[in-house]
Amino acid sequence: MGPTQRDALSKIACNRLQKELVEWQVNPPSGFKHKVTDNLQRWVIEVNGAPGTLYAGETYQLQVDFPEHYPMEAPQVIFVPPAPLHPHIYSNGHICLDILYDSWSPAMTVSSICISILSMLSSSPVKQRPADNDRYVKNCKNGRSPKETRWWFHDDKV
Amino acid sequence: MQNQDGLLADAEVEGISSTQASNVDDWENFRDDAIMQQQSSIWAEEAEKIPFVGDKAREPLSSLAAEYQSGSPILLEKIKLLTEEFAAIRRTRGDGNCFFRSFMFSYLERILESQDQEEVHRITGNVENCRRTLQSLGYADFTFEDFFALFLEQLESVLQGNKESISHDELIQRSRDQSVSDYSEWHITHVSTYVTWMRKEDVKHMKFLCAAFLSASPYNVSCLVVMFFRFVTSGEIRKRSEFFEPFILGLTNATVEQFCKSSVEPMGEESDHVHITALSDALGVPIRVVYLDRSSCDAGGVSVNHHDFIPNPPSGGDLPLAAATATAAGGSGGSETIKPFITLLYRPGHYDILYPK
Repeated sequence: MGPTQRDALSKIACNRLQKELVEWQVNPPSGFKHKVTDNLQRWVIEVNGAPGTLYAGETYQLQVDFPEHYPMEAPQVIFVPPAPLHPHIYSNGHICLDILYDSWSPAMTVSSICISILSMLSSSPVKQRPADNDRYVKNCKNGRSPKETRWWFHDDKV
Repeated sequence: MQNQDGLLADAEVEGISSTQASNVDDWENFRDDAIMQQQSSIWAEEAEKIPFVGDKAREPLSSLAAEYQSGSPILLEKIKLLTEEFAAIRRTRGDGNCFFRSFMFSYLERILESQDQEEVHRITGNVENCRRTLQSLGYADFTFEDFFALFLEQLESVLQGNKESISHDELIQRSRDQSVSDYSEWHITHVSTYVTWMRKEDVKHMKFLCAAFLSASPYNVSCLVVMFFRFVTSGEIRKRSEFFEPFILGLTNATVEQFCKSSVEPMGEESDHVHITALSDALGVPIRVVYLDRSSCDAGGVSVNHHDFIPNPPSGGDLPLAAATATAAGGSGGSETIKPFITLLYRPGHYDILYPK
């Protein structure tokens, strides 16, 4: 994993993250543990595979990096390798999950991301890498870029 | 503009894949740096061409006709009709937020011009209702409170425009004393590179424009206010999910919840009649959308269609002022009597602001 761009958090981002952290401490999502550091901009979160799933008893680490303009911009969320074997998780820790990219919205939180990731893990029927893992990891330059949809077809009868 | 749209559309088709946890094909596209680069360069170009919200003085409606010169005769005919009714267009950037951005600008501009304190009072009440809606739907306060506070601040700041602070007087004075081109230079130097030219009549917008629309940052006030509208829209749709469900099913296979998560709350997601209805209802603000498309009626005569989104006031809720006034004036007050003060021009995929003559 290359170094992340680390522009300092803006004031809005700082305030928001402090509130999220408090909320997390009061009401942590089950199966997750935030490893306390003094770095508000990078959270390291321990994930425990849910009981009764392929990942039961396993522990992984998520690294969440917040951009300067969080929450208008999505956080970068990756698994610290070794990443779980999963059809949507690449060996470099990148996760293919829409809410981390195009479908991110400020209405989401670290906590809701964690819950989505755990649900993605839990629903996996098979432990394997994505079919294009090697090629992707080789080609990988910063796994994401926010995109905005511009096109739609209008039904002018409505 | 058309080409921009076309190009973007092409890029989207390639990149559209990542909507759900991937299969192999998704990443085939996603990893394609060329596509990503092309898209971001299109974005940069688009951003340079059109600020988040443009300057109406620069765009008499005739500029639309020029844009379609070699286009469909139906469109040209419709533009001609529009020219009879409307004086100007203010363009907004085509970044998927154009409906919300057009609405925001149009609404705040209206308040700035009318200094209508009653309307501000009314909408503030509705904003509080929206806040309660989100809370009751289980949104954590910290996810939306900053956006709400910011919108309320904007309302206040446009009202304060009334009190003609010294700097505001100064601006008007300058614009009177200087020729347009002098003023333009002064403006470019002192204010921004985004809004490059303004008429005297537009100077009063300046303070507001400067504060709200000039920065390219994602924390640009107009982006944050767009997000406020997205929260409000999503809350309204979820609150009245039974009402909206059939419309949403008509657009997509998604559930109401999925629709809100994937097509309302994320920035850059296009707005449809569902969004417009929900926003108009939640805030109690009527909106007219004028359609510029290739449709024509069978009879052969060309006319420009429009649709009025008239708020459906919640029981006991505040009736929008415009509606109340119209009702009083029109006696029994069918919805036909309500004339929205916000008019948007819709062209497939895009909304801009229209100014009546």
